[in-house]
Amino acid sequence: MTFARRIISKLSPFLACLGLLAVWQLAALWLDTESFPTAWHALRTVPQVLGDPEQLLNILDSIRRMAIGFSLAVAISIPLGLAMGRSARVAAFFNPLLMMIYPVPKAALMPIIMLWLGVGDASKTLVIFLGVSLPVIYHAFQGARAVEEKMLWSGAAMGLNGLQRMVRIVLPAALPEILTGCRTGLVLALITMVTSEMIARQSGAGNILFNAMDMAQYDTVFAMIIIIGALGIVLDAAFDKLRWRLVKWAEPHQEILLGAS
Amino acid sequence: MSAQRLTTALMGALPILVVLAIWQMLCSFGTAPPSLLPPPGKVFLRLAQQLGNVGFLDDILATMIRLFAGFSIAVVLGVGIGLAAAVVPAINAVVRPLVQVLAPLPKVALYPALIILFGFDHASKVTLVTLDALFPILLSTYYGASMVEQKLVWSALAAGTPRWQILFKVIAPAALPSILTGCRIGLVISCIVVFLAEMISSTDGLGHLLVGAARTFQTVDMFVPLIAISLLGLALNGLLYGLRKYLLRGFPEV
Repeated sequence: MTFARRIISKLSPFLACLGLLAVWQLAALWLDTESFPTAWHALRTVPQVLGDPEQLLNILDSIRRMAIGFSLAVAISIPLGLAMGRSARVAAFFNPLLMMIYPVPKAALMPIIMLWLGVGDASKTLVIFLGVSLPVIYHAFQGARAVEEKMLWSGAAMGLNGLQRMVRIVLPAALPEILTGCRTGLVLALITMVTSEMIARQSGAGNILFNAMDMAQYDTVFAMIIIIGALGIVLDAAFDKLRWRLVKWAEPHQEILLGAS
Repeated sequence: MSAQRLTTALMGALPILVVLAIWQMLCSFGTAPPSLLPPPGKVFLRLAQQLGNVGFLDDILATMIRLFAGFSIAVVLGVGIGLAAAVVPAINAVVRPLVQVLAPLPKVALYPALIILFGFDHASKVTLVTLDALFPILLSTYYGASMVEQKLVWSALAAGTPRWQILFKVIAPAALPSILTGCRIGLVISCIVVFLAEMISSTDGLGHLLVGAARTFQTVDMFVPLIAISLLGLALNGLLYGLRKYLLRGFPEV
């Protein structure tokens, strides 16, 4: 009984995917317009798009930019967020500025950043960096703030200095929360990647998607939507696996997924 | 206490002032040519001018209508589905895998499909905002409602509350802090997404203003809509904070 239930719960995301594709298929058959191909048709176009070496290189370029922007953002945001969480002064210093920047759509800075850095990799990576860093800072901040004081006192009593306490007590204690932030950041990175390429229109997955849209190649549009969507789901699932390994000891924490910018 | 508050406020204002000062310095020392980075005074002056301009106000209004429509639909759907999934196991079994698949999906990529289905007008943008704001609200409602202490439910039942009223009298109020947190995240997302959708394809709205200014290299006008959406986001966030304080009076500070 429990075994069957486990299998069902493992399979349920795939069933959900199949269900969504089925709904799409039926809706397309029902609407029956040229601009809305059936799911089957779009799925058949996916290998065509990925088989074209130029487009494949474009998509890989996008992923590379996303990886660089994401890693830089995480490397800088986690120490900043932890510092904000442990020091009221640092928090008071940065908080209002971050509150101002948070609702600004990062990809909307693209036209301005393009004026300064050109349409190349630098500006797109910078925009992804900006988009990812805010949620990571915020979650690291929340996580570090919630660390139990007693643990820090014990650490201090055992002779750890400030930096050691930060690395050996605050960082692990805040890790579940930080990883939630990183997961949000991952989704954001993907979205920012698509949007920045859509605005710069030079290369990348977003460029293929919106160019196909402009040229009314609807099969390619929907194939790209499937590819980008699958990328999001796969990256998220992979990250969740990683998170599970790193913070098995913590209870499964509230996982609010952002999806924007 | 109030002196301490003042210091905190001053500390917070400092980095914003520093950013403005650096911006001004870059302009006045000629490091950045004004065609690439207009001086802050000019930008804020233009913003003040534009606020008196009917066309600009129309654009802000268009953005706000889309934002509110999308956000409200997302709140209604998110809270409704979230509560239902937390209470009814059968709904949970259907909703959970769907959310697992749909939440990490980058919704902006769906926008071309939405344009094809709903046209270039309000509908496609409102749908995009709803899709993007829905999941944080739904997830936090679900977690809030499923963390409600069982003892509270038992006490209410023992005190004679009918079973069907438990949802509204016990579970929904107990999940309120979590729901409001989700709404706050959803609101920030709505601001961001409505702007992006208008940038991609639109004939009005703040995002459209930015794209138009970018095409004609009017750098001053490029900064104005960005600052406007940032201020709009801040104001709405403040409103939601006030609402939260009002609704959660009597709750322990969360």
